[in-house]
Amino acid sequence: MKRAHILVFLAPAVIVYTVIMVLPLFATLQLSLFRDGGFVGLQNFRTLFGDTRWSASFWNALGNNLWFFIVHMLVQNPIGILLAALLSSPRLRGAAFYRTAIFVPTILSFVVVGFIWKLILSPIWGIAPGMLDAVGLKSLFSPWLGKEGSALTTLALISVWQFVGIPMMLIYAALLSIPDEVLEAAEMDGVTGWSQFWKIKLPLILPSIGIISILTFVGNFNAFDLIYVAQGALAGPNFSTDILGTFFYRTFFGFQLQLGDPNMGATIATVMFGIILAVVCVYLFAIQTRLRRYQF
Amino acid sequence: MHALEIRNLRKTFGSVEVIPGADLAVEPGEFCVFVGPSGCGKSTLLRMIAGLEEPTSGDILIGGQRVNDLPPAKREIAMVFQSYALYPHLTVAGNLGLALKQAGTPRAEVEAAVKRAASMLALEPLLQRRPAELSGGQRQRVAIGRAIVRRPKLFLFDEPLSNLDAALRGQTRIELARLHRELGATMIYVTHDQVEAMTLADRIVVLNAGRIAQIGSPMELYNRPANRFVAGFIGSPSMNFLAAERSGLTPPAGAVELGIRPEHIALADHGIPARVTHVERLGHETLVHTDGEAGHITLRLVGEHDLPVDQPVHLRPDPARAHWFGPDGNRCD
Ligand SMILES: Nc1ncnc2c1ncn2[C@@H]1O[C@H](COP(=O)(O)OP(=O)(O)OP(=O)(O)O)[C@@H](O)[C@H]1O
Ligand SMILES: [Mg+2]
Repeated sequence: MKRAHILVFLAPAVIVYTVIMVLPLFATLQLSLFRDGGFVGLQNFRTLFGDTRWSASFWNALGNNLWFFIVHMLVQNPIGILLAALLSSPRLRGAAFYRTAIFVPTILSFVVVGFIWKLILSPIWGIAPGMLDAVGLKSLFSPWLGKEGSALTTLALISVWQFVGIPMMLIYAALLSIPDEVLEAAEMDGVTGWSQFWKIKLPLILPSIGIISILTFVGNFNAFDLIYVAQGALAGPNFSTDILGTFFYRTFFGFQLQLGDPNMGATIATVMFGIILAVVCVYLFAIQTRLRRYQF
Repeated sequence: MHALEIRNLRKTFGSVEVIPGADLAVEPGEFCVFVGPSGCGKSTLLRMIAGLEEPTSGDILIGGQRVNDLPPAKREIAMVFQSYALYPHLTVAGNLGLALKQAGTPRAEVEAAVKRAASMLALEPLLQRRPAELSGGQRQRVAIGRAIVRRPKLFLFDEPLSNLDAALRGQTRIELARLHRELGATMIYVTHDQVEAMTLADRIVVLNAGRIAQIGSPMELYNRPANRFVAGFIGSPSMNFLAAERSGLTPPAGAVELGIRPEHIALADHGIPARVTHVERLGHETLVHTDGEAGHITLRLVGEHDLPVDQPVHLRPDPARAHWFGPDGNRCD
């Protein structure tokens, strides 16, 4: 065979990828079709969506996940784009400092971030109440992480604080790749300031924004660490911060009085996989192909 | 009133003085070309006129009005960039119309203006394409069209043809000359291509290290270069320079150097002794490179000539076409 060398060169990557990615994935999918060592078909999925208690937990977690994602899309990404636009302004002094300062939280561990923000926001030892008091806004304070209505949004905002540096950097790089002469031509055409941002820069960085959206989606639907660190595996108060990751963790490994159930856990993991796969496919085939990458 | 006037314009980048002080006036309808070696400050001068670069000192007047403090868009000028700088996300029509749209021109008027420019440059079939779907020459025409649509008082071109191949460059050059005649607009054109400069210009401004070495019509520069720099820069192959005492001619008072163009020197029975080092045959002309006591001398002979390498020859400069330069490099006669 003339093309045998292609297989030879592909083999190492394929083997490594298969062993560490594909096999575990199929093992998980397989696990979700068994119960007590016997094959049960889609029985586990029927339980997850049919049983009132299972399905209530699942929809609660999925809804929370969606909200977590929406907060990131509406807060993190616009702020990231805004910061990048400011950073790329040639008149800004100390851009390197701001860039680094904003990016630093991204490399911190979830454990540190979760713990720090718990301390900051704590009504007892936290500095947040004191700081609000100092500017006369003490009445605005409430134990945000402890209230069912605000805990999830607060966590989402903490995550935004930590990761806003990533969209900022990606957009910043995209903005820098726009040639000066194109912007100068816009300048000559009278397209300046914000109108230049909307009419010239934004359309040219749309592909990057698309990539950021899909990264945000995958990151958020796989999120687990921050919730676990800040609120524990029970995702309190009263499961109001429960997302698919924590729901899966409790189910698979068990927690406190709940016994671990690998089969149901694998079922949840499979559903998560399916959701992410579906959205990524829609993105790749319906949206990404329509975004043009511009050659300058 | 001048279309453009520059008074004692200076530009320094940090401690580097790029333009040490330039004065220039361009008349309405004139095609003015800036030439000079790479890095001499042509683009910097043009960018200051455009408002993309702030002058360190001096005044820029367009149509009699001082524009130093006006943003580029308010100066009623249009610029064509070397890299075309088209908006990649807009169609050709969008590229052409953006400036007018931005200025709040009514839609119908924008469309009419775009159409007019497109028909001038044969862009009509391409109006709905994006820049990525165009050839280099087509992109160049869109870039020129974008300038025309705005009906500016002054057109600025920064080496607009340097990304095109030789054939297309020749064609676009003719098109630009036609455009200049049709529009009757004032144009300033930067190039380091002599052929472009000589063929397009009403007047050429030769720059040397940020200073204006000479301003004049192409034939003035060719026939009466004001100094050694202009003499050597204009004309290809470039002028031969030899010490006055080796020229075989009688120099005027104060002259130390003879400049003689390759086409004004001939083979003769006696004259400057030299030896042929290389012969380039181009069909319609033959370039003969020689070496001798007077230094390297190039001849341009009309038609085909068969000269063997190493043949000893005698050269005779045409005294009527001799250029004499003093010790300071300036012309003396
Ligand atoms: N932003 C800048 N900062 C510092 N020096 C600069 C800057 N822009 C240009 N220069 C310097 O100014 C000089 C003139 O540059 P300019 O671009 O005007 O040359 P040019 O005549 O257009 O050359 P070319 O024919 O290669 O385009 C160069 O020596 C260049 O290094
Ligand atoms: Mg230049």
